[in-house]
Amino acid sequence: MHDERFDIVVVGGGHNGSTIAAYLAKCGLSVCVLEERSECGGGQENTEARPGFRIDPHATYLYGAAAPGFEQLELAKYGFRMVYYESMAGLATLDGVAANLGGRFNREVGLESLRRFTGTEPVDAEGIFMASMGDDGMRDLLRALFWTPPFPSDYEVEPKDAPWWKVFRQLLPQFWTDRLVDMSFIDFLDEFVPWEPLRAFEAFAAWYCGAHPSWDGMMLPSLGGTLLVGFGSGSPRGGMHTYAHAIIRSAIANGARIITNAQVGEIIVKDGRAVGVQLNDEASFPEKTIWANKAVISAVDVKQTFLKLVGKSHMDASFVQKVKDVSLKGGSLFVLSVICRELPKYHGNSDFFPDSVYPSCVAAPVDSMEFFHTQTRDAYSSKKAPELTPEHLTMMICTHDVYDRTRCPEGYHVLSPIYLEVPPPQYDVTGPEGINRHKDEITKAALELLKRLAPNMSGDNIVDVFLNTPYDSEFRNAGMSGGNWYGARQSEDQWFGSRPIPELGRYKTPIEGLYLCNHTSHPGGLCLMAVPYNLMHILIEDGIANPGNWWYPSPWYMPDTKAIKGASK
Amino acid sequence: MSRVEYSLRPENPPVPEFPEKATFDVVVIGGGPNGLIAAAYLAKAGLKTLVVERRHEIGGGLATEETLFPGYYTNPHAIYHLMVDYIPVLKDFNLTQHGLSFVKPNAQSAMLFEDGKSLLLCTQNEDSKDSIAKFSPSDARKYGQLIRKWTRLVDDVLAPGTYLPPMSPIDMIEALGRGESGQEALRLTEMSPMEIIEENFDSDELRALLLYMSCMWGLNPRDSGLGFLVPLLVVRGVNKAQCYGGSHKLAGSLSREIHQAGGFVLDNAQVDRVLIEDGHVTGIVCQDGREIQATVVLSSLPPPQTFGKLVDEAHVPKDLMDTANKWEWDPWSFFTLSVATDEMPTYSCDDPWVNDALMVILGFNSYDQVASHFDSIIAGNVSTMGGHSTIETRYDPTLPRIKDHHVGFLQCHVPSKVEGGWEKKRKELGSALLNRWRDYASNLSEDHILRQSVEDPVDIETRLASMVNGSIKHGDYNPLQMGVFRPHESCVGGRTPIEGLYLCGASAYPGGLIIGGPGYIAANTVVEDLDVNKWWEMPKFVEKYRENYLT
Repeated sequence: MHDERFDIVVVGGGHNGSTIAAYLAKCGLSVCVLEERSECGGGQENTEARPGFRIDPHATYLYGAAAPGFEQLELAKYGFRMVYYESMAGLATLDGVAANLGGRFNREVGLESLRRFTGTEPVDAEGIFMASMGDDGMRDLLRALFWTPPFPSDYEVEPKDAPWWKVFRQLLPQFWTDRLVDMSFIDFLDEFVPWEPLRAFEAFAAWYCGAHPSWDGMMLPSLGGTLLVGFGSGSPRGGMHTYAHAIIRSAIANGARIITNAQVGEIIVKDGRAVGVQLNDEASFPEKTIWANKAVISAVDVKQTFLKLVGKSHMDASFVQKVKDVSLKGGSLFVLSVICRELPKYHGNSDFFPDSVYPSCVAAPVDSMEFFHTQTRDAYSSKKAPELTPEHLTMMICTHDVYDRTRCPEGYHVLSPIYLEVPPPQYDVTGPEGINRHKDEITKAALELLKRLAPNMSGDNIVDVFLNTPYDSEFRNAGMSGGNWYGARQSEDQWFGSRPIPELGRYKTPIEGLYLCNHTSHPGGLCLMAVPYNLMHILIEDGIANPGNWWYPSPWYMPDTKAIKGASK
Repeated sequence: MSRVEYSLRPENPPVPEFPEKATFDVVVIGGGPNGLIAAAYLAKAGLKTLVVERRHEIGGGLATEETLFPGYYTNPHAIYHLMVDYIPVLKDFNLTQHGLSFVKPNAQSAMLFEDGKSLLLCTQNEDSKDSIAKFSPSDARKYGQLIRKWTRLVDDVLAPGTYLPPMSPIDMIEALGRGESGQEALRLTEMSPMEIIEENFDSDELRALLLYMSCMWGLNPRDSGLGFLVPLLVVRGVNKAQCYGGSHKLAGSLSREIHQAGGFVLDNAQVDRVLIEDGHVTGIVCQDGREIQATVVLSSLPPPQTFGKLVDEAHVPKDLMDTANKWEWDPWSFFTLSVATDEMPTYSCDDPWVNDALMVILGFNSYDQVASHFDSIIAGNVSTMGGHSTIETRYDPTLPRIKDHHVGFLQCHVPSKVEGGWEKKRKELGSALLNRWRDYASNLSEDHILRQSVEDPVDIETRLASMVNGSIKHGDYNPLQMGVFRPHESCVGGRTPIEGLYLCGASAYPGGLIIGGPGYIAANTVVEDLDVNKWWEMPKFVEKYRENYLT
């Protein structure tokens, strides 16, 4: 096959790769996306492991509802539709509490069940803020947190003047104190949320939404994760992959070329500049070279980008070590999917869970904060599989088909995903496949626990069980390092301009013409279309992209005046 | 409390959605191969085209799914692409730009026998003859000559006929009578597959393999009336291609063409009904209430779903409605056992080359056994005798997500229904088939099998609702449901008695098996009726057929 040439070559057709392709194609650039799998979408994936039963091996909720991309890329036109949930979440404990927390669009359900259990007017973190901020305020806060490119490295800013704190102070002056900046989300919960099961629930929710609630200085990003999911309060109709379809179709309609089964073997660097890529020998076009006139955008994670695709000769040892040390902790998930005939009836209190407001996700068991701390230690403090007692296995049990009947045939339900946080495979002393040796016992323990929480989850009610460990996720989805939802730890050391490392904080790399567009860059995972949106600012700065009137930048965008080539805009 | 479907509509939805009401020129119901083909042609002709698909993924039988979750993909429906050398869509569109690539290996169809002998038919005729000569040198000669003759038959008549609207039987006899290939097609039509095979060959092994290849997709070995399909299925059966990266890539590539041309696909959307006003189609309504106005609607669903369900019975002429009500589904369905292994399953036999074959038939020892196999299935019995297998990774290493791992299947014919239901039977049949497979591939031992799964006829219909009772062709191939009668003589070229409604699925002429005929023919009809720019030209082989036979 003859070589081909495009303005932009995007390596990886996952969420971030296809989104930046759509953006750049809409700027009139010739764009080629090279996806190694036969289907784009990456973690925005649904699979029918059993015909007609759609499971969510990775992403599951619409976290990205505040994304400018919906408008800018016209995803509605390309088929995007939602299913909003009457109840987003519930919690259950081993000792018989099962509270329905309702959702943004049906808050009364939640308040009613909380009143019953707590005997007082309930207080929950998202509730407090959502009610005070309103839709527009919430969108502003989320955009400041997630849809803002990190500042140029020479731009000094006090932590309390970070965009998100500015918005917070403006929207919620009554809650503002200087101390918030140094707090972890747990510090905050301890202060504001009195009922322990709800506190544990919120801690777990934050953990599964990106930033672990015990990470210092991350109170607002942590809370922000839960606000993201609350703001969307639903899932794309049919599952996350339909969201991917809308993005990919927007890209194609704008002229991008999407080539699947195109595994990139090498990013070609000449004289310090990325000039193209070469496919490997298993690609549809084996070893074909595809040249990039303007930029190569790596939408695979930072480690593979530099340790595998770019030759080491282009970096120094100090840089290589920093890339190696990017922490993968913080989102390695053991995912179960259970096909059943009846929804779980959490013992004692299923009256709060009628089908019409069944929580789309139940965190259980959340008896005490100790459960939360125990599981955190299991996942982060040692290099072995988690303990298999109920106190060590709090699960997030998602059920979307209650509201979206396209997900499985009548007469069935699909509990998918059921998430359990486990150590990243790379940290297992017995090797990354170590977790897979514990597959059966973890599954058995999780199902035992499910039965204890909801006694009807046994016998004939369970029709089929599928699972993917973080190790499985990693090989299914080559960009999902550590089987981590967020690609790399979302702690303060790896957040905003420090993500994944300060040298790469603005998506630019030591190699001219090579940019990063993956969830290992700010603001991380969750299919927000945020990394590409943020990267767009940089590409405009560098004179590569020149969008039309449809584009609007982040109001908190801080240009790198030294870099601006297309400064006339 | 009853379940709420899409009930919650927030006052200020946080994200914009596909509109509740929209207007298109063309709506195609069903995003299977034919729906996508029709849509691709029509979108590129400048018509604002929307494909509406019930599943979350387009493609229909062009499915590549993670049936061996996690990490191992297979092609649970179409895998053997018989017509890639002819199918016009592959020439009219530059699908290779999307990474589409078909691999057509020389080693094609093999049969293994219990005594360790094997027979291998290849794309290259002399290789087939070499293998046949092991059993009968005279059959080898005859096979060589017959394949040459049958290839001409396919080129001259059968392939071109696939991409033109059907003729009435009288017109057909007159037209085909004009040339040698046509006359032979007419002669064969009146013969049964068994008669055709017995007329030509003496070797029991060759007869067994050819009978399997002729009937595996649903022909009754003893019925006459469709004998012309035998040369087509045999010649194309040694010219099968596999889609690199999975059959779904063809669907994905077509979808990209549709979007490049300004068309759209709305997936995860089931059509509830076709709107008709004053006898003319005006659009569709989806089950979620979304209403799409359209001048033209193409349905790729089979007659019982299109007429009476999507289209109100009141608008359907009685004889067409009768046909829809009495539509016969395929005579049998399929049961597939798939495995993921860490070693390539290997057959031990007299010719190791068999391991390169795209399809290996195993479990049968004689022509009679193959014939009685089909008899027994038609009589409604489940047989564990054998079936056809393919190691999908032999020519597509991308299917498993771990390098050097493999996926493969053994597929057998089964009645669409069994006593007690498939849920009860599937496990037992799966393990019986695995044992049968192991008789031939000894390294399919427990320690090499990483995952396994089975799919029964209920699974087929659950995944693809048009395949009622697991009917992969949307309906039986019998003389009353073929040619101009597929699905009904009032629907020639896809036109229906309802103005603006067209048929473009496998239940329309010429039929199923990813031959791309119905979608192509319907697209031709629609551009003719709407008088819009027909940007494509008739393929040369079709042009030649028209010159020789139709003028």
